[in-house]
Amino acid sequence: MTEFRFSHRTIAVAIAGFALVYLLGAYHLPDFVAVDVPVQPATLPRGLGYLLLGLAAMLYFQRAEQAEEGTATGETATEQPAEADEVGLGRLRDTRLELAVFLVAACLYVALFAVAGFVLATAAYIASAVWYLGYPRHLVTVLTSVTIPLAAYIGMSEGLGVSLPNGPLPF
Amino acid sequence: MDTLTQLVSGFSVALSPENLLFVFVGVLAGTIIGILPGLGPMTAIALMIPIAFGMDPTTAIIMLAGVYYGAVFGGSTSSILLNAPGIAGTVATSFDGYPMARDGRAGKALAVAAIASFVGGTVGVVGLMLIAPTLSKVAVSFGPAEYFGLMVLGLTAVVSLAGKNVTKGLISAVVGVIIALVGIDSATGTLRFTFDRPELYEGIDFLIVALGVFALAEVFVLLSRRGHGGAQGGVTSLRLSKREVRAMTPSALRGSVLGFFTGVLPGAGATVASFLSYSTEKRIASDGDTFGSGNIKGVAAPEAGNNGAAIGSFVPLLTLGVPGSGTTAILLGALLVLGVQPGPMMLEQHPGVFWGVVASMYIGSIVLLILNLPLIPLFAKVLNTPKAVLLPLVVVFCVMGVYGLSFSVFDLWLLIGFGVLGFLMRANSFPAAPLILGLILGGLMERNMRQALQISGGDWSVFVTQPIPAVLLGLAAASLLPTVIGLIRRRRERADREREVPAA
Repeated sequence: MTEFRFSHRTIAVAIAGFALVYLLGAYHLPDFVAVDVPVQPATLPRGLGYLLLGLAAMLYFQRAEQAEEGTATGETATEQPAEADEVGLGRLRDTRLELAVFLVAACLYVALFAVAGFVLATAAYIASAVWYLGYPRHLVTVLTSVTIPLAAYIGMSEGLGVSLPNGPLPF
Repeated sequence: MDTLTQLVSGFSVALSPENLLFVFVGVLAGTIIGILPGLGPMTAIALMIPIAFGMDPTTAIIMLAGVYYGAVFGGSTSSILLNAPGIAGTVATSFDGYPMARDGRAGKALAVAAIASFVGGTVGVVGLMLIAPTLSKVAVSFGPAEYFGLMVLGLTAVVSLAGKNVTKGLISAVVGVIIALVGIDSATGTLRFTFDRPELYEGIDFLIVALGVFALAEVFVLLSRRGHGGAQGGVTSLRLSKREVRAMTPSALRGSVLGFFTGVLPGAGATVASFLSYSTEKRIASDGDTFGSGNIKGVAAPEAGNNGAAIGSFVPLLTLGVPGSGTTAILLGALLVLGVQPGPMMLEQHPGVFWGVVASMYIGSIVLLILNLPLIPLFAKVLNTPKAVLLPLVVVFCVMGVYGLSFSVFDLWLLIGFGVLGFLMRANSFPAAPLILGLILGGLMERNMRQALQISGGDWSVFVTQPIPAVLLGLAAASLLPTVIGLIRRRRERADREREVPAA
């Protein structure tokens, strides 16, 4: 993940930029004048904007600590030996490109979700993603990509009453 | 003695073969539904109500209690195995549950969750039995100022969830509160940061953010490591060593008590309870610095807390007829349809029903343990799925959960956005837990603060002149002290070291 790690200063500048835009938005929020209210709707957002600016400044002047990597709660990133069948997911050498491909695939899935319907969009997404990530047993891939969307669709719509988009399919 | 006799009679009803069968059905159905993100106890109970209609009221209540427990446990299962918390109350479980699964201890993590849930349920039932009427009076006396104090106390958990870099933790928490403020301002009806998108008027649901920054971000992280790391299958023994049982027992007991008392208060009981239990345990444990990397206590405390709170939320329901949460509101509806009217007169006029409900909750808790412990190896088999298949399935799982919540494709785009944000946060060591805490508690805190000030006519001293808010805010300040002192000490030590190096 080192490709996506930025220096404290870069992050601090990005956060400060976001805080400034947020503050601008907070100052554009109208005051509520219909009745007298002790705290206006914009009060807390403005406070949060300044707080974020202050924290960004603190981060800017903070030295990078190697030790902090992976110490936050729930974020421990212990590298572990991978199993033989798991080594080398994907096809591209550049991790950034690999992630971009996966992200675009997820975006396409979402874009097709309502148009093509849950079953077709999910089947196409699972089949293409599993194949792309390099799973060698194609029969399993096909079976997974057909049975899981169908089972999920029937279970959710018939069993739990949650209607998922059906797209061109008649059911 | 009278209480004990009543309880025994409640158990004699609840333990009939028919009732036992339905509690099994309820727990199993609840667990399966609860595993799916977005479908928490509320949905699970709502889905089972039509089945309950034709039943004898006691049997129906027993089954619904089983559904409730099962759904909460199901939420913990997806938190532990996939880092995908389905409901707010099980977010804290994923902090140590998922790292345990990553270390090949998924079976143990699930077993600890089941046992701690049972402990939380048991302590909760005992509390409900002994002090329900007294506690309900305290719960009613909680106004906006008191809730504000409680939310501030909950937010102080940020510092213990932040890891080594408190600044980054605070930034995460502030961003969480910023997300919580999107939507219509409940006090004035003003639109805040909705960008004229009707989809944002109701705000951004917790589930979208949680699935994005935890589950989807984890998919991106695993992909960036080419499938290395992640939860490991294979070693999924359930057996806990004596040392582990000794380690988790006090944590589970403390979490249960804290959870029960927090759960009595209407509102975000189970969520606040699980975060408070987790952060309290992290602060007082001798090995608190290992929380977040798979500490057994970090699973036991929030699980006991959220189950204790689940029972605690029955106190206002049964004694006052006031539902304190969405789940208890649905249960209230079910009870009314079944001809049972909870409220102040219930204990006097229908003691049999009251004790039947208490007994059924306890039985639901036991059945959860009996049924789910053998099922754990089956659940843990999910982790044996090859990563190339599992990662796309997790994406589908998240998309399905979010769409089922709002039926909005816009929310799916938000999910992907939060997934990217979560990944960038992980890559740059920003903890996601404070963001979730800020999101859940930030909005509640603001609402209660403004309501309190509205009532007091804008007098800010209301937070320090009334005893309960003053005590809660004092506790919040006191809980921050060790962190502040630690930071100052670390800074001094670093300065000393730097002075020594040039001298050498």
